[in-house]
Amino acid sequence: MERYRFVGPDDDGGGRDPAPPPSRVSVVDEQPPRPAPPEGANEEEYKWHTYRQYPSGRPDAVEFIDTYKAFGRNKILRGLNMGLPEGMVSMIVGPSGTGKSVCIKHMVGLLYPDAGDVLVHGVSVPNMRDDDLFEMRKKFGLLFQDGALFGSMNLYDNVAFPLRQHTEKGEDEVEHIVNRRLDEVGLGHSRDKYPNELSGGMRKRAGFARALVLEPSIVLFDEPDSGLDPVRTSLLGELIQEVHRDMMDEAKKENKEHLPTFCVITHNVMMARRVADYLNVLWKGRIVEAGPAEDMLNSENPFIQQFLAGESRGPLTMD
Amino acid sequence: MEGLLAAPRAWIETFGEIFGFCARVVREVFDLRVFKFFGEVLRQAGILIVSSTLVIWGLVFIIGLECGVEGAYFDNANGVAAYAGVFAAWCDLRELVPYAFGYMMAAKVGTGIVAELGSMRISDEIDALEVMGISGVTFLCATRLLAAWLVLPFVYICSIGAGFFASYLVVVHQIGDVSSGGFLQIFWEFQNPPDLLYSVIKAMVMATIIVLVGCYYGYNASGGPVGVGTATAKSMVLNIVSVHIVGMLGTQLFWGANPRAPIGG
Repeated sequence: MERYRFVGPDDDGGGRDPAPPPSRVSVVDEQPPRPAPPEGANEEEYKWHTYRQYPSGRPDAVEFIDTYKAFGRNKILRGLNMGLPEGMVSMIVGPSGTGKSVCIKHMVGLLYPDAGDVLVHGVSVPNMRDDDLFEMRKKFGLLFQDGALFGSMNLYDNVAFPLRQHTEKGEDEVEHIVNRRLDEVGLGHSRDKYPNELSGGMRKRAGFARALVLEPSIVLFDEPDSGLDPVRTSLLGELIQEVHRDMMDEAKKENKEHLPTFCVITHNVMMARRVADYLNVLWKGRIVEAGPAEDMLNSENPFIQQFLAGESRGPLTMD
Repeated sequence: MEGLLAAPRAWIETFGEIFGFCARVVREVFDLRVFKFFGEVLRQAGILIVSSTLVIWGLVFIIGLECGVEGAYFDNANGVAAYAGVFAAWCDLRELVPYAFGYMMAAKVGTGIVAELGSMRISDEIDALEVMGISGVTFLCATRLLAAWLVLPFVYICSIGAGFFASYLVVVHQIGDVSSGGFLQIFWEFQNPPDLLYSVIKAMVMATIIVLVGCYYGYNASGGPVGVGTATAKSMVLNIVSVHIVGMLGTQLFWGANPRAPIGG
């Protein structure tokens, strides 16, 4: 029996146990009332936050519900409400230092919110026991900024590692899967190389292959474009789309319970424009607006327009 | 007043954190969860044997030479040259071999663990492990602890042998004031099998603390490469102090009431 617990900033931590919430399948464009600004902030600071969420027509694979997180006096998430629709390539975009990577760490339970909740396929991550959390993490593949490959293993062993730890597959089958994944990311010829012998782009692609090897239903990318030239960034973006398409076809063919969900954290506007199906624009710990890429690119919100055009003039300044 | 109390409070908090972390690692071994990664345990055991054994034996051999020289000349000066074996037996087995073992463990193994786990932490490798559904504490720390427990008793017993051999060499063959038989008779007369067991216990407590402290500082390193360097230095300080505390308490506990030399008074 899955447990659900909602904790708000005013909650005493005791929580409550209501009936499980239905997944938010947003098809009707009904907007909730505008929330008050977070404690210590005024309405002026959040005047560009319309909190508008354009319907995606899909249930959310991951949901943030009134999530708060601070590191000391540095308040990062300030009442974040955000969803990542199933079966889409979602992007979380926003200015630097606004809490995008912190969001990823909350999804996989590497960080816990100070208040609020994070649901993965409807189950609360902060309330999981350790064993359940480790089990839940098998749903995820995560590509870290620099690939986070194990320095003591070559590329082949890095990609094979999750298979050897979590499956009973024989070495022949492991080899077949690893070679397929390495070929997919164009690293079939480098399987014997160690991470320190690879370029930044190669390490990212290798990290991508390792993230996919257990066929996760949610794949997260933490700034995959950082340190890459524009051409490599475009190629990586195409690779992400291509792999997502393949995984969608496979999931539909096998009638899987959850469609593959990709979430890319970036502040690269070009990548967002090319790759995203769904965009969450995050600023000051809250979503400014969110919705399918087409709706967001046509948004009339001056902040969204400025950010997605990469303009220097507009609500976002150096302050 | 508040300012004066801040430092001791921070120390107590740190010790509490270290203790909690160490208890978690030990629990992972006794829960048998670590056996899920027995291959990694064997790999770590192999690394310990290949990379640390010779250097530990080398240091203990030198300490054994020193023990032999000091004992031989001191006894000779006091007219009891034949009793050089007493000094060698007690000095080697009870004190200097455990200390030399502890020093080299702290310098080679402890700092190595901090550096390795610390660099894994700052390059997100530990987070990557956790996201794959593998407990970093079990895979990285409990495996190292079990590997140490499997390998180090044998390494240590051989170290004692190296120390004994060095003392014998210097007293009998270099200084030569006592015959081989005379040295060995006194040497073995002043120790017995429980002494060997106590010495092994002393060294294994040191080794356990060193591995756990190394794991704590490496696993919780932060602040980039500088942070890893700072964590390595802190672990070295704590480990060296711990080695001496364990050495002192072990001597008091195991030999403090020895009727032939009641160190405990």
